[in-house]
Amino acid sequence: MTAAPPLQRNGVVVDETFAEAFPMKATRIVITAHTLEWARHAAVSATGFATSVIACGCEAGIERELSPSETPDGRPGVSVLMFSMSGKELGKQLERRVGQCVLTCPTTAVFAGLPRHAGSDVAALGKNLRFFGDGWQISKVIDGVRYWRVPVMDGEFVAQEDTPVVKAVGGGNLLLLARDTDGALAASEAAVAAMKRLPNVVMPFPGGVVRSGSKVGSRYANLNASTNDAFCPSLVGLVAHSELAGRGAASTEEIGCVMEIVIDGLTEADVAAAMRVGMEAAIAIGPAGGLLRISAGNYGGKLGPFHFHLHKLLGAGDSP
Amino acid sequence: MSGWHFRLRQMPALRVDLRGIVPVALAQLSAAQVGQLPVGHGNEMLALAELFDITPGEEGVLHFEGNLERFDRIGWQMDGGRIRVDGHAGHYAGGCMRGGELRIEGRAGLLAACEMAGGMLTVAGDVGDFAASTLPGSMDGMRGGTFVVHGNAGERFGDRMRRGTALVHGGTGAFLGSRMVAGTIAVGGHVGAHAGYGMRRGSIVFAEAGAALPEGLRTALTFVPNRAATPVFWALLARDLARHGGLFSGLPARRIERHLGDLSADGKGELLICL
Repeated sequence: MTAAPPLQRNGVVVDETFAEAFPMKATRIVITAHTLEWARHAAVSATGFATSVIACGCEAGIERELSPSETPDGRPGVSVLMFSMSGKELGKQLERRVGQCVLTCPTTAVFAGLPRHAGSDVAALGKNLRFFGDGWQISKVIDGVRYWRVPVMDGEFVAQEDTPVVKAVGGGNLLLLARDTDGALAASEAAVAAMKRLPNVVMPFPGGVVRSGSKVGSRYANLNASTNDAFCPSLVGLVAHSELAGRGAASTEEIGCVMEIVIDGLTEADVAAAMRVGMEAAIAIGPAGGLLRISAGNYGGKLGPFHFHLHKLLGAGDSP
Repeated sequence: MSGWHFRLRQMPALRVDLRGIVPVALAQLSAAQVGQLPVGHGNEMLALAELFDITPGEEGVLHFEGNLERFDRIGWQMDGGRIRVDGHAGHYAGGCMRGGELRIEGRAGLLAACEMAGGMLTVAGDVGDFAASTLPGSMDGMRGGTFVVHGNAGERFGDRMRRGTALVHGGTGAFLGSRMVAGTIAVGGHVGAHAGYGMRRGSIVFAEAGAALPEGLRTALTFVPNRAATPVFWALLARDLARHGGLFSGLPARRIERHLGDLSADGKGELLICL
């Protein structure tokens, strides 16, 4: 973190720092159902407990809802993005989640959501789940794509054989520093709503927002992450280094609540675009709404090769 | 890759075997070399130039002009490029083809697309018996690619078919999809008796408006009506078949009635009657 002269937009200080992101593997699946509501049920279940690879195995979220004209089978659907640290782990998580949350959900079907040759690797979708059919499953190749038809009690569950796996970017982030909880939530909600309008990104945490921003490592040997004490308002004056004290800026002295938004995207450009619109939406809330400062989490450049500089994203040099 | 135009001089006295005359094999040859290529004529070999006037043609395309109903094995084992026949074709047209595109503007003889494994074969007219089926003695019939017949088909269409999609815009003879292992057959017209005889898996679509089950099937004990809805599978299949136009273009908007069987041979095949 640096203490360079602050950039201000709409009265909000934007730190001259960067969000540090790392490479992940990702896929998109399309879940369809008889009604949008049932597609949502399956997607919400499949993306449940998929907030952070620290302990969840994958990070996943609902990208957007799809109209019948956008899905392979002409039914309403939901597109889901799923990220993991390796293609193998992604395949494992995908199989578990689709098997437990989509196969089980009434009327659903599941398809690959990326172009057929989007990635050099693939993860199984229906390829292994078909064995649930206990021998009654049948495969069907339509236009060169293999689908599995597994008999279930409401008819049959149709799943595409596999889904492409692509390189992706995980861990893009924004830290929204506000006067109080109301201000932090208002800015976070506005930022997440703006980001959700963009394709190819998901914010995997509950409501897209994280209150437990973490740092790498812990004083306890068995933990690989712990609370981001530098951004905890309750630890100002206690910790050796706090990002919320000692800057001499009036706004910094007033910060009482910090929220983080984590963004995973299919490409570096997707994450950058999401961070930009997220910041713009939060800045629009401004000090009047409680937002005082925007920062980002990095680990000195040691975590990953993707660095999203906040000033660059906002077009530094433009006057507020 | 060069292309050639073959104009038939006159109908040969005996049947001619055109195996080996495929775009990839002729790609690097000169006109003189192409003209000297040997083809079987009865029990002797003839140079191609004795049968056709040969001139350069469209890049990558072998274009045959004339009535080739005595020419067998057109596109035999082809795996790329395009062949177009402006006329009829003999037996085994597109047999064992693995890729590329073969289009026959007239009709084709027996065993068209037999053991076809890939590519696209289109016949504007009718095809004879055993199309999309096996070579005598083989276990598997058509095993990939797309085969479209705009006219009618003979008997035993898709016998032992294992994979791929075969469409007949017209009708077919008896024993449609007999001993079928998998794949998709769609028929627009009237179908003869014993459709799906001995089929293990696979789908046969009857697209004719208001089509009833083929003759004999209503009383066949080896097919059972199925009550479960399969809207997802049908949406995927119907949309794919609709690309071929004609009667098939309206399939996505139609409902189906399924019959499963043949119970004497595993019973995982399906007859889909469009309502």
